[in-house]
Parts: sequence; C-alpha cells; structure tokens
Amino acid sequence: MNKVVIIRYCEIHLKGKNRGYFERVFMNNLEKSLTGIRHEIHKLSGRYVVDGFLEDEAEEIVLRLQKVFGVHSVSIAYKVSAGMESIWEAVLKVAPENGTFKVQASRGDKSFPLNSMQINAEIGGRLLAHNPLLKVDVHTPEHEVYIDVRENGTALVFSKMIPGAGGMPVGTAGKGMLLLSGGIDSPVAAYMIAKRGMTPICLHFHSYPYTNMQAREKVEELAHILAGYTGGLDLLVVKVTTIQEAIHKYCAEEMMVTLLRRFMMRIAERLAIRFGAQCIVTGESLGQVASQTIEGMTSSNAVVKTMPVLRPVVGFDKTEIIERARKIGTFDTSILPYEDCCTVFLPKHPIIRPSLASVEEQEKKLNVDSLLDEAIESLEVVHIQ
Amino acid sequence: MIYLDNAATTRPDEAAVDKALKYLKEKFFNPSSLYREGFEVHREMEAARKNIMAHVVKNDKYEMIFTSCGSEADNMALFSCARRGNLVITKGEHAAIYNSAAALSKLGTEVRYAELNADGSVNEDSLLSLIDEDTRLVSVIHVNNETGAINNILDLSAKVKKKNSSTVFHSDGVQAFGKIPFNLDNCIDLYTISAHKIGGIRGVAGLIKRKSLTLHPLIYGGGQEKGLRGGTENVFSIKQFEYAAEKKFSMLKHDFNAVQRLNAYLRNALSSELFEILSSENASPYILSVSAKGLRGEILLHMLNDEGLIVGTGSACSSKNRYSRVMLACGLNEKRADGVLRLSFSPSNTEEEVKEAASLLNQCAQLLKERMQ
Repeated sequence: MNKVVIIRYCEIHLKGKNRGYFERVFMNNLEKSLTGIRHEIHKLSGRYVVDGFLEDEAEEIVLRLQKVFGVHSVSIAYKVSAGMESIWEAVLKVAPENGTFKVQASRGDKSFPLNSMQINAEIGGRLLAHNPLLKVDVHTPEHEVYIDVRENGTALVFSKMIPGAGGMPVGTAGKGMLLLSGGIDSPVAAYMIAKRGMTPICLHFHSYPYTNMQAREKVEELAHILAGYTGGLDLLVVKVTTIQEAIHKYCAEEMMVTLLRRFMMRIAERLAIRFGAQCIVTGESLGQVASQTIEGMTSSNAVVKTMPVLRPVVGFDKTEIIERARKIGTFDTSILPYEDCCTVFLPKHPIIRPSLASVEEQEKKLNVDSLLDEAIESLEVVHIQ
Repeated sequence: MIYLDNAATTRPDEAAVDKALKYLKEKFFNPSSLYREGFEVHREMEAARKNIMAHVVKNDKYEMIFTSCGSEADNMALFSCARRGNLVITKGEHAAIYNSAAALSKLGTEVRYAELNADGSVNEDSLLSLIDEDTRLVSVIHVNNETGAINNILDLSAKVKKKNSSTVFHSDGVQAFGKIPFNLDNCIDLYTISAHKIGGIRGVAGLIKRKSLTLHPLIYGGGQEKGLRGGTENVFSIKQFEYAAEKKFSMLKHDFNAVQRLNAYLRNALSSELFEILSSENASPYILSVSAKGLRGEILLHMLNDEGLIVGTGSACSSKNRYSRVMLACGLNEKRADGVLRLSFSPSNTEEEVKEAASLLNQCAQLLKERMQ
C-alpha cells in the first residue's frame, strides 16, 4: 500500500480542440511546482496521479499543488491492489473516527466481481460493524470515503478533497506587464491575472536615492511569493528618479502623480513590447487614491496606444483586496513600512480629476522621449524562481 | 570608504580577534565540562568576566552576567525587576528598554515616561516626580544613542534612591562603556554593556548587577551564569571582548580627546545654512546628531553612501520608523526629525576623513536642496 496524490483539474475540459495544448502547459506547471521532490506524474482519464515520492513528502506535495492554477482539488490516496481485503485495509486508514459517512465507489474495471453499489454496501457495512460511533448518511454525510477501482488491477482509496487554487494553467493566456509597487493591491492583481492563465511580468519602479534598498528587497520578496503561483517569473526594475526630479522641477506640484503614472505606463508599454506581453496590468482600484479616479485612469490610459490596460481589482474595496492579499500570502510583506517611489515627491494636494488637456499641457514642459530613454536604460531584470 | 556610523557597530579589533582565536581553534572546550581542558577554559572565561567588569567597578559589590547582546541584558533587567508596581523609564531609552516596558505594560506593570530636555538628556524634575513608593525599577540610558547626551546617572540614581530606597536603578551603558570615564557606585544596581560598540564582536554583552539583587533568567538551561542565563558560553567572543575592552580602556582619555577634536571639527565645518546641530556641546563626543534643514535624512544617507561616506539616521535599531521617537521627544517637529543624521566616530577615524566627510555632507545636502526646490 503506497501513498499517491490525485489531482483534479478545472476548466481544461472545456477547451475543445485546444485541450491538448492546455494539458501540456498544465502538466508542465505541475512538474515545475514539484521541482526538488522525487516523483512521477501520470495522466489518467479526467485526472492526474502523482506517485513515486517518499511517504512523508505527501503533505508538501499537496501544499505545492494547491498553488498551481488549474488544479480543482487534490487528495492524498492509498494505492492498493484491487481486492476487497486490501481495499478494506486502506479504508481503515482513511475512515473517519465518528460522525456520519458515505462510501462512494466507482469502478473502471468492469470485471471486478462487485459493482459500485455492492462495494458501497460491503465497505459501509464493515465500517459500521467496526466502529459503533459511525452512522451512514447518504444525503448529507459529514465524511466521505472514496474507492476508485481502476482498470490496471489497482484501487485508489481516499477521503478528503482538498481544494486547489482553481483557474486556468498559467501560460495559457499570454503575458501581462504588471506594475508591481510594493503595496497591497498590485500583488493581488498579479494573482488574479495569473489565475486566469496569464503569465505576469512584474515591473517595479524605484527612485534611489529617494527610496531605499529595503523597499527593493520587499518587492523582490513579493515577486518571490507570486512566483510560487506562476512557476517563476521575471521582475523588471526601472529607475525613475530623473523623471520625478524633472516633473518636480518643471511642472505643477499637484500633477506629480498624474504625470509620473503616464511615464510609468509608457515605460510599461515599451517593455511589454520588448518582452512579448500583450497588455498592461495595474492594481488600481477605482477611487482608492487621488490618482485612481476615472479621470486619473483616463489620463494614464491615454498614453498607451497598442494594448489594453487591465485592472483586475478595479471594483474591489480595500478590505476585499486585503482579504485576498492575506489569503495569497502577500499582505504581511506588503505592509512593511518602506516607501515606494510614489510617495517621495508626494504633493500635499494632488489633483483628483485631471483633464487630459491640462495634463498634456504640463507634459509639454518635459522632454518625454529622452526621459523615457534614460529610465529604460536603467532596466535590471531579475529572474525569480 | 569613510565610516561614521560607529554608534551602530564598530569594526572589530583585529588584534583582539587574533588573540582570541585560540578559543575557537584550540581551546574550544565547553567551560562547564569536568575535565581539565574545560575547566581551564572556564577559569579563563572567569578572568575575562573579572577584567571586563573591573574597568567600571572598583569594589566587590558587583558581578556580571554575560548575555548575547545589550538588548538581552536590558530585557533581563526589566523583566526581572519590574513585573509589579510601576516602572519609570525615560522617553530617550533605546528600543530594547522602550519595547520591554511596552510588553510589561501589557502584563500589568504601570509604565511611566520621564520627559527629555532638548539635548536628549532626561529632565531630572520630570523623572523624580514620577517616583513613588510603588516604583520597582527606574531605567535611564547613560549616553543617549541618538543625540549622545550624557545623563549623570550617579547623581540621578542617588536622588532616585532618596525618594525610594528600594527602587532598583538600571542604566543602559552601551554607548558609554569604554568611551566616557566613569565608575559604578552603590546607587546603580544594574548596568548594561556591550562588546561590539568598542571593537568587540557581536554576540556578547553583559549585565553588571549588584550582588545582593535577585534576578530571574530569560533563558533557562544548564545553570550557566549562576543559573541566570542558560546556554553554553560564547568563550571566543567573551575573550575577544576582554582584549578589546582592555585596549579601549587603556586609551580611554586619549581616544576621548581625539574623538572630541574630530567632533568639534565636523560641528564647525558643516554649513549652518544646511545643517542644524542637535547634539549639545557636552554630549559624548562619539556621537554628533544633526538635522539637514528641510531635507530627508535618509535620502542624504543614500547619496552620501554613493559617494563613499557611511552615516546613520538616528538609531540603527529603529531605522524602520520614519521619525525617531527620541527626536520627537526632544521637541523636534516632524520636519526637523525627518532630516536627522547621526554621525558617530571611532578614534581610528582620521582628520582627513572627517574633513572629506564634512565636504561631502555639505555638497550632497546642497545638491539635494537644489533638486527638491
């Protein structure tokens, strides 16, 4: 009797003729997530099974698989030879200690002497006799015991379905250039697009010496957490100090953030093209801060000419975003108190509803192209595993 | 590279490291063991204890517990003696005292905070007014780690004892030990010292205690340090501390004068247009606290770093908070507190280095001022 992990997947079966492609990417992501653990993954009809690992690594495997998008649920199961006695031995290991239960057998091997209903009745009967604290409830049981008799002379026995991350396999929906600030929102935005299969490329802006090395380290840590869901990612780091200084020197104080965001979007678009991303993704949430009004978004969108800007958390309240950040594990890092580049030259009264005309008027005072070139020149690429 | 952040930590005394290396390589034995080799190490460690303490204790009323750091010694003092009644600390205490007090307050101890004078020293009237019959412990930092202000702990402890003779008086002497001349006397019950501020290496510090005072361990273990601090002793670091302290104290007056000259030079060389000097004239010469007018100290720190000058902003232990709590308690508003830089010297700094540092400070502050305009 050895332990295996069963993986059930979400929406891949919907993908018709592309199914093969989706499955290849998914398999690849599963393999990547288990790097460093000896294992084998087998494809069965409708699910995958991991085996060949050391028994005490089962929990770690489950933890890692739970982070792979496309995984609907996983179960740790016992794999036994397909005979009632060996099945019963495994059932004893997974059976609940008290409460109500139901046995749910399925039979791939139609030559097995008992049919599914008979297996249910036999095993259920034995469990009742074995443990007087158990009761059968076939409608709303507290526990379920699953028995899956396979064609190859083996059976899988398990009791828990552990939910996975859901969504689509990362890599099946293109690439997005994600603006990663170090705050709470942008890592959540990254998670959400990754969940729908998009590979995020993270782009971080810093303003050394106005920001410190700890802030940069924090962003790398966030990228590292996100990489756990995406199977590695690239973090691009761009210095925007000169841009901020130029805006500060030549433009109206209240326009700082609005103008800076337009520069960030331009840099994001240029780098998206260079790195093969098809869209820009931001963690903006409508009305959350002065630059995230619809006018602010209009102003920053206006400079992006060749691709859409996705804002996956646009309709979320801060509390909803925080809840998700906690769930995905980025919150504690996001709230470390280091400044990101937006706060350095922060105006006392930022403009809330900038008109496109007034923004463009201010921008005429700057040599936009040379500032962009200088910033992009500073690009550093960090590969995060 | 010019290093002016010696209050954060100092470069380890290499000769002392070399001399102590035999306690890593050859005499590595556990000092608690029963065989000859271990016992010998035990005796040599006890000699170190005696020698280190002898620099500031001239009678036989004190003993010393080795700890892993000054913070541990501070924690031990407070958690041993201030679990009931009230605890009086100053608003200028190091985070190790301040946060221990905060933790004790959650456990039910009433914590009272004495006000500071503008230079960071404790306001004596405020301190004494807080002491009553329930005061279990008073802790006053000897040399303020941010401004360098020296508290006259001999005088203060005597006055505290006059108000309540059973109150325990503790002082964190981490920035004073080996730097300014003084001896402990009867009114001080507990005194924290640390190795790495005077050429020792990190990982060893001490709590000097009056013998008659009962303390309680933070770490229980095999009975080391008279049962007050479990864990196999860090003999290499302890011996290195001994050797570094020996050198430091033999040069104490000489170094004090040398550092005073460096400090005075820098005070005068900094542009008064750009910098406000915060440390008073009679502060420890090892620390010079300044505020860059209208600028943010941290940005200046990075610019200076790029030019090869290393300085600090306030205390390295609390550099994660934007404004220094101590600076605000000295009466600085947020804007002035934002500009704080802490320049701290070692006698191995040269006049040329300090000259260069002054010019870099002026240049970078001027440049930043222009950029921020």
